[in-house]
Amino acid sequence: MSTLEIKDLYASVETKEGRKQILKGATLTVNSGETHAIMGPNGSGKSTLAYTLAGHPKYFVDSGEALLDGKDLLKMTADERAKAGLFLAMQYPVEVPGVSMTNFLRTAKTEVDGKAPAIRTWTKELQDAMKNLRMDKKFASRSVNEGFSGGEKKRAEVLQLELLKPKFAIMDETDSGLDVDALRIVSEGVNRAKENTGLGIMLITHYTRILKYIKPDIVHVFAGGRFVKTGGPELADELEETGYDQYLPEGSTESALA
Amino acid sequence: MTEQEVNIPVADPNDPYAMPAAMPSSADNERRSFEVDDFKMPTRKQEDWRYTPLERIEEFFNVFTPSGETKVTVSNIDGSPIDGDKVTKSVVDRGESPSGSIMKPNDRVSAVEWNSGTKTVIVSISGELDQPVLVDVEGHGADLDSLHLVLQVADRTHGDIVVRHQGLARLAEGIEIITGKDSHVSTTFVQEWDKGSKHVGNQRIHVGDNASLRHAVVTLGGDVVRLRIDQEFGGPQGDLNMLGIYFAEAGQHLEHRTMVVHNYPECKSRVVYKGALDGKDAHSTWVGNALIKPQAPNTDSYELNRNLVLTPGPVADSEPNLEIENGNIIGAGHASSVGHFDDEELFYLQSRGITESEARKLVVRGFFADLIEQTGVPSIAEHLMNVIDRRLARGESADMQAVLEDK
Repeated sequence: MSTLEIKDLYASVETKEGRKQILKGATLTVNSGETHAIMGPNGSGKSTLAYTLAGHPKYFVDSGEALLDGKDLLKMTADERAKAGLFLAMQYPVEVPGVSMTNFLRTAKTEVDGKAPAIRTWTKELQDAMKNLRMDKKFASRSVNEGFSGGEKKRAEVLQLELLKPKFAIMDETDSGLDVDALRIVSEGVNRAKENTGLGIMLITHYTRILKYIKPDIVHVFAGGRFVKTGGPELADELEETGYDQYLPEGSTESALA
Repeated sequence: MTEQEVNIPVADPNDPYAMPAAMPSSADNERRSFEVDDFKMPTRKQEDWRYTPLERIEEFFNVFTPSGETKVTVSNIDGSPIDGDKVTKSVVDRGESPSGSIMKPNDRVSAVEWNSGTKTVIVSISGELDQPVLVDVEGHGADLDSLHLVLQVADRTHGDIVVRHQGLARLAEGIEIITGKDSHVSTTFVQEWDKGSKHVGNQRIHVGDNASLRHAVVTLGGDVVRLRIDQEFGGPQGDLNMLGIYFAEAGQHLEHRTMVVHNYPECKSRVVYKGALDGKDAHSTWVGNALIKPQAPNTDSYELNRNLVLTPGPVADSEPNLEIENGNIIGAGHASSVGHFDDEELFYLQSRGITESEARKLVVRGFFADLIEQTGVPSIAEHLMNVIDRRLARGESADMQAVLEDK
C-alpha cells in the first residue's frame, strides 16, 4: 500500500514573457488501487501538475510538497522519481530517433528495477504485453515513437506502464486522439496494470468518454491551478451536462484562459 | 527542306544570370594540376581554406622528403592472408599507371602530396570477395610522411575494402579509387589516429559505368584531419553513396569536403555526414559540393549534414553548395543543421528511470546508429559503435560536469 500526497503545491513555468505561476495550491492524496479522474478546462494547469510531479526541467516548484510514501519527490531528478515509482504517460510522447524500443525498454526496466531483467522472461513479457495492446512485433525494432501514429504512441505509453510497473501513474490526456477501438485497447491496458500491481492512477482528461472504460473512484474538478471540487463518479456526469463554466473566474471563458 | 539558321547561345559576361547554364561553374573551374607552383599558398581568404586552421598544417604546403614511417599492410578483415587470385598489393612508381590516372590534384596540399614521394601502393580487387579486405595504414612517428594509394576495382567486382588509419602520424595522403563497369563495392576509411597526429588527405574517385560505390569516412582521432574527396562518374546510371561520421573532441579540427560531380545522365548520389562535437574548441567542418553538369539529365542527388553539439564550446561549420546546370533532373536536395541535445528527448528518457548520462549516451548512439549500420561491414560497424561508446563513457565525468555547470 503506497500513498502519493500532493500538498499545497505552487509551481511556475518559464515562458517568453517570463515566469508565470500556473499551480496555485494543489492538494491531493492518492492511494494504491485508487483511480482519480482529474477534469478541468483547457489552461487550468492539469498538464503542469503532471509535468511538475514528473520533474520536467521547464517547470519550477515555488512551494509545497509532493511525497511518495513520505519521500520528497520534488527533491529528486526525473529518473529518481521514476525509480521511486512514479510514471507519467504523456499527452505528446517524444520521438527519440535511432534508439530502438527494445533497447529503450530494456534500459528503462534495468534502471527502474536496479538490475537487468532475465532475458527469457523479459522477452516473453514484452511480447505478451505488445500482443495485449495489439501492437505489431515490428514496433520493438523501431525507434522510440518515431513515425508512430497518435494511437500507436499512446499504446506505447501504456506498454511502458505495464512493463515498468510503477506505483502511481499520471495519465495525461491519454484519451486524446484515439478512436473508439484504440481507446478501448489502451483503457484495458491501464486496467490490467491496476489489477496486476495495485497501481494508483491520476487520470487527466477533458472528456467523460474514457471514464466508461476506466472507472474512477473519485472525480476532481481542477481549475485555476488547484482542485476546486471533489466527488464520486456522478460528478463526471454532472460535468458532462453543465460544462466547466461555473468553475471559471467570473467574466472569463475557457478560450480566453487557454 | 529549307535550311534553318541555328543560334548557339553565347553567355553575356556582363549579364551572366541571363543564361546560368553557360556560366562557368565556380567549383569546377578551379585549377587542376600536378605542379605545386600552379597553386597559390593557402590563405583563409580562399574559399577552400576559409575554415581550416592553416597555421596548424603549414608543413603540408611545400614539397618535403617523406620519412617513410607509414606502413601499409593488406589482409582480410579477420586477419587472415588475402586470396591472391582476387586481391593483390603492389608498389609502382608514382607516375606509373594507374597511379595518377584519376583527375589531377585540386589544391596545393594535394599537389605537394603527389610530389613528395616516389612510390604508389596499388590494391586491386576482382571477382566476388568472401570477406572485406583490410588495408592497415599505421603511423610510426610524427615526422612528415606521404602515402599515395590506389584502390582499383575490376569490372563486375563485388566486395568491401576497409582502410584503417592508426598510430602516430603526420601524413599527406592521396587516394585514387577506380571502380570498374558494373562493379558494386564499398570503401570505408577509418581515422583513429593517436593524439598528436595530423592527416591532410585528398581522394579522387572514378565511379564506373553502371557501377555503385558506397564510400564511408569515419574520423575519430587526430589533432587535425582534413580530407578532401572529389568524384566523377565514368558513365550513365552510376550510384554513389557517401557516408561520413566524425566525433571531434576538445582541440581537434576535423574537416571533410566532398565534391560530387554529375557528369553523366541518370546517376544518383547521396552524401550523408553526421558529427558529434564535445569539449572546448572542438571544431568540425563539412563542406558538401555537388555539381550537376549540363550533360547530366535525370540526375538524382541529395546531401545532408547534421551536427550534435554535446557540450558548450565546440564550433561546427556546415556548408552545402549546389551548382545545378541542368533543369531536367529528378532532384538536388540538401539539408544541414547544428543542434544541441533536445531537452524533451532527455526528459522523456529520464522520466522512464534512465539517468541523464545514460540518456545522453542513448541519444548520441541513436544519432550515429543508422549511419554506422549503413556502412554495410558488420565487423566494422560493431567496432565503431564500441569506439563511440568508449568516447561517451570517457566524456562523462569532466565534460558532463561542464554541461551541468553551464546550466
